[in-house]
Amino acid sequence: MSIAAQYFDVHQRMRDQGVIFSFVGYVSEGILFSLGEALKQKMRLDETDANVTKRVFSIFVEQVQNLIRYSADRLQSENGTPTELSSGLVMVGRDATHFFVVCGNVVGRAEGEDLCSRLEELARMDPDTIKSYYREKLREPPEAGSRGASIGLIEIARRSTRAIEFGLTELEAERAFFCLKAYI
Amino acid sequence: MPSRPMDRLQRPQTERSPLVDFDFDRHRLHLEGESYPEDAAAFFGPLLVALDHYLVHLRAEPPASPLVVDLRLTYFNSSSAKAFMNLFQRLEAAARDGVEVQVNWHYQSDDETMMEFGEDFREDFQAARFELCVFD
Repeated sequence: MSIAAQYFDVHQRMRDQGVIFSFVGYVSEGILFSLGEALKQKMRLDETDANVTKRVFSIFVEQVQNLIRYSADRLQSENGTPTELSSGLVMVGRDATHFFVVCGNVVGRAEGEDLCSRLEELARMDPDTIKSYYREKLREPPEAGSRGASIGLIEIARRSTRAIEFGLTELEAERAFFCLKAYI
Repeated sequence: MPSRPMDRLQRPQTERSPLVDFDFDRHRLHLEGESYPEDAAAFFGPLLVALDHYLVHLRAEPPASPLVVDLRLTYFNSSSAKAFMNLFQRLEAAARDGVEVQVNWHYQSDDETMMEFGEDFREDFQAARFELCVFD
């Protein structure tokens, strides 16, 4: 297969799945901002309802910020967070009925299992319960060692219009690949 | 003893952080724009410190006019929501101590998310006045 045919195939497969854009590699806050701008622009051009655009954008930001903060595959400068680079996957697309936002990254296995049990808890809640859970968490002091993922995850579940999907696949050395897909 | 004046705290609006204008002399705090800074704790920390300092003054010498807080936000992330909650808890506590506080939550009429957040936050205020202000 020629190089063009090879990458056209990659491109075509993505398009068939409704992918608007996809990013694999090191993600920074700067990349989050630029991808977010491109996403809003694309949705504006498509004349997407402003409230839908806001939901998609909100889920996108929470997903990518979680990736930046919690990917186990991360490069960090010694003097703090603004230069964090975290490896992962970000995908935004649209199927026949919904927009979707997917994020995936490597995590420690125990951490990934903890994340999944928190998400299972969220997935069992109806919208009103999620809303009051969000209010409750917003009033709590931050958990030890947490930089706000709980609220971020609740925000994702709250803005989703269909059940979130998530899972882990085990890797070597007590690691796992975690992925979360939200629909709007 | 005259209280030490505080310098007005002003931050220009950026693409991902709101305008901040805290005019201590006029008892007005104004926040406007979008809020998803890289590091919400670093962005809002100085504002919360200034507010604490300022509220000490107000509790000691309640002013004749109320402290008016205007928020006109179009989008904020969950870390910013946490910061707003910290801000509101301080304002409500001051109001319970007798400081007159008025919070105005401005949102565009078709913005469901900001309306819902306003309704949520309103439930946390009893002593302070919290008003939903819709604009077109």
